[in-house]
Amino acid sequence: MKTQKKWDNLATDTAERMAQASRFIGNGKRVEPKDIVGLLEAVIRPGDRVNIEGNNQKQADFLAESLLKVDKSKVHDLHMVQSAVPLASHLDLFEAGIAKKLDFAFGGPQAGRVAKFIKEGKLELGAIHTYLELFGRYFLDLTPKVSLICAYEADREGNLYTGFNTEDTPVIVEATKFRQGIVIAQVNKIVDKLPRIDIPAGWVDAVVESPRPFFIEPLFTRDPALITENQILLAMLSLKGIYAEYNVSSMNHGIGFLTSAIELMLPTYGEELGLRGKCCTHMILNPHPTMIPAIEEGWVDTIHCFGGELGMEKYVAARPDVFFIGPDGTLRSNRAFAQTAGHYAIDMFIGGTLQIDPWGNSSTATANRVAGFGGAPNMGCDAKGRRHSTPAWLKCGAELPCMEDQIGKMPRGKRLVVQGVETFGEGREPTFVEELDAWALAKNAGIELPPVMIYGDDVTHIVTEEGIAYLSRCKDMDTRMAAIQAVAGYTEIGLKAKPETTRRLRDAKIVQTPEDLGVDRNRATRDLLAAKNMRELVSWSGGLYEPPARFRNW
Amino acid sequence: MSKWSTLLSRSFLESNARERALGLVDDGTFTELVGPFDRRTSPHLETLGEAVEFDDGIVTGIGKIGKTPVFVISQEGRFIGGAVGEVGGAKMVGTIKAAIDFADRIAKDYPNATDEEKPIVAISFETGGVRLHEANAGLLAHAEVMDQLQKARHKVPVIALIGSKVGCFGGMGFVAAATDVIVMSEFGRLGLTGPEVIEQEMGKDEFDSADRALVYRTTGGRHKYVMGDCNFLVEDTIAAFRAQLAELAKLPREKFEELRRIGSEVLVAKQLKGVALAAEMQPKDSRDVWVHAGNPDPVSLALAPVADFRAQAKRLAL
Amino acid sequence: MALNTLEFECKSTAATVAVAKPVHFGVVGSGDLEILMSPAKNDGAVKVKVVTPVTGFDDLWRRVVGAFVENAKLGNVSIEINDNNATPAVVTLRLRQTLAEAAA
Repeated sequence: MKTQKKWDNLATDTAERMAQASRFIGNGKRVEPKDIVGLLEAVIRPGDRVNIEGNNQKQADFLAESLLKVDKSKVHDLHMVQSAVPLASHLDLFEAGIAKKLDFAFGGPQAGRVAKFIKEGKLELGAIHTYLELFGRYFLDLTPKVSLICAYEADREGNLYTGFNTEDTPVIVEATKFRQGIVIAQVNKIVDKLPRIDIPAGWVDAVVESPRPFFIEPLFTRDPALITENQILLAMLSLKGIYAEYNVSSMNHGIGFLTSAIELMLPTYGEELGLRGKCCTHMILNPHPTMIPAIEEGWVDTIHCFGGELGMEKYVAARPDVFFIGPDGTLRSNRAFAQTAGHYAIDMFIGGTLQIDPWGNSSTATANRVAGFGGAPNMGCDAKGRRHSTPAWLKCGAELPCMEDQIGKMPRGKRLVVQGVETFGEGREPTFVEELDAWALAKNAGIELPPVMIYGDDVTHIVTEEGIAYLSRCKDMDTRMAAIQAVAGYTEIGLKAKPETTRRLRDAKIVQTPEDLGVDRNRATRDLLAAKNMRELVSWSGGLYEPPARFRNW
Repeated sequence: MSKWSTLLSRSFLESNARERALGLVDDGTFTELVGPFDRRTSPHLETLGEAVEFDDGIVTGIGKIGKTPVFVISQEGRFIGGAVGEVGGAKMVGTIKAAIDFADRIAKDYPNATDEEKPIVAISFETGGVRLHEANAGLLAHAEVMDQLQKARHKVPVIALIGSKVGCFGGMGFVAAATDVIVMSEFGRLGLTGPEVIEQEMGKDEFDSADRALVYRTTGGRHKYVMGDCNFLVEDTIAAFRAQLAELAKLPREKFEELRRIGSEVLVAKQLKGVALAAEMQPKDSRDVWVHAGNPDPVSLALAPVADFRAQAKRLAL
Repeated sequence: MALNTLEFECKSTAATVAVAKPVHFGVVGSGDLEILMSPAKNDGAVKVKVVTPVTGFDDLWRRVVGAFVENAKLGNVSIEINDNNATPAVVTLRLRQTLAEAAA
């Protein structure tokens, strides 16, 4: 007789663990904060793949700190799979030997420790992913056994409200629960009735009311008071030389002062260029406060958000024609969907970087920090699977002189990927370098590949104070390198530019200076900003935007 | 430099020291004294290898508003946080002294001069006080400025204007307190010990200097207006500060004594009442004092436009 | 420790622009600088003096100011700069703004 093969090992294993944990779990799946360490010891086994919800913004910080308190003889050598490791406790787990291996997407403030721990052998690095790539692997070979997640509120049955900052929660829970894993949630508050249910109680195994609200960082707030005249010049160049040139209707703005300047100049310089209704109508973007004036002036049809932004809750809720608002009247962000749109659907990604090499590869990696790039590479690349067309995508594709060498006479578009940088950064560090620090990092931390944020063949435009290099118009690598040199200013790379070559590139519109584009440098003043400070952003919002305390000078 | 007419509508907060000085007085009337072309940089900073500025971070000069001669001192916060050293301090002292000498001459040569023909001093503060790089010289400069303020009293009104990024703290907080009139915008901040120093001495629980809202709620123009620490609250434009200055220039000179917040036995008694009130109330936040002063909804009041705020705000009666 | 002073001359190949009056522009903030631009009889050359706490960028200063002088066709001018670690982009911007001020 054939032995019956067991097909429910995962569920059995989970049931055993939950049986041990049952003494900590009360009505409505509720766990007292004092019992949380015991619960974690009951459900987590050595070597488990564990996810601690670490988003760009909301953090399961109480659960992370609790995991640090487990008995190391019971829980050790965990394989952490999570988007971000921005909290000290995330890395303390490796120091303590509770965790051993890490697969992640973004290091943030702990990037230095990640590099150090790899070197010291305290942390075994799986890979640095993009968000979508990691989310994909949650459903392939990196599914968490136990996930420690984070929500605003739970009701008496264990349903969760993740609300404004839903971010990664749905992806983590779906991957974990549908492979029979265990989901433990920390919430700020347990209430009788939730505004809406974001995660059903049936997918959650335990809920703890955290002793303090989860940590949340206003990562996407830029104070307009800090925008410089050079950033305004770069914004003018971008608007006239790229937004207007290609009629870019959909995009993501990377975070930074250049993109903040662009956002604040839509109602002024953008209006003057006649771009309203043509550009920036569809955006994939966190609720940037600096978008408020453009939204108020009717520039934007829709914005879908990766996450929320502190202080923007009321404003966003009051603009349901623009943002994705639930039946309860509050925003639901979702990183997986926003990244999907960011990868496949948008015409353009524009952002900054720390370094660009002679071929146009760019990276924010420094020699001793394993920071990762989060979602930038997915948006800062040409999505080869894209099949729908838009004018901007088609125009950029039509410019490529080398397309015919690859697919013959077949027309195809291309995503605009724009890097806006000043030729020198803080402390006169050159932005254009012979070799990216990513190489030194790869060597120092023993990583196979230098971490490149955006590969040179994906970058279509570089904007500096010297002008714009239209890399999409370059027929070969020599032309491309010459175009980069032409906008690299006084860096060693820039000094290689030959005046006669630059002249030729300008005539061919492969390089355009501010003068070529008709951008008057003398107009690059803060008078072009629709709001010059936080207070004016609040006024634009009709008092709905409530900036966090550290951004308020009132 | 923008044209004078465009300067007026500019934010006082965003402007630099020279733009403020030029815009405060009538078009074309400003003559800078010991300006950048005199190249009086700080010898102390040079020795220490620190960046220098040709005007040492303080713009001084003379202009007119209508018939009134205005001696202007304007501090530049972007240069070492507006800290006052030897050269800048001497420029302040010299300017106030010149105003006093001028007032004496007018009194002697033109006994029938009207009030609006007599000089005033306007000081735009943007400083944390002493420039630590030249501590002794900087401290001495503070003492000398104080000395000049005492000499100016009853002769030349000294008007403090506070609406800049850095605010007015440290030794210059004392100097501002000793002037005849204080005009602030809501973005101006006034205090003695700066927020970072309070945090360092008393701990983050007492005062979190990274909490900008708390800092402004405690030291900002609106609170100082409710407390009576500043006399006038104006909009954040050069024109608004200038208009207030122009109004004050016409004021009979003896009236300035009534605008002082310190400097007489009566005022000392009033200040002591404030101390007693603080001991009795034990306020946890500046807003508690607003409520006590008769403002039941301090949050809305703090968010109201400046004109509405001025119309509605009840000031603390002591 | 002392401040670093750098003095050099540059000459535009087609110096036709001079300044009529001395002008001052800028504030020595962090990452910023101030400039005095004055008429001077230098046989068509531009005399430059830079005072800065930062060392090791002498060639960069020569190139940045040199390119500005060349592009602006500037001659018979003296330029004095107090710098506090401004980037070339800021230096070029301030030089242009100073010249615009002189022309105003």
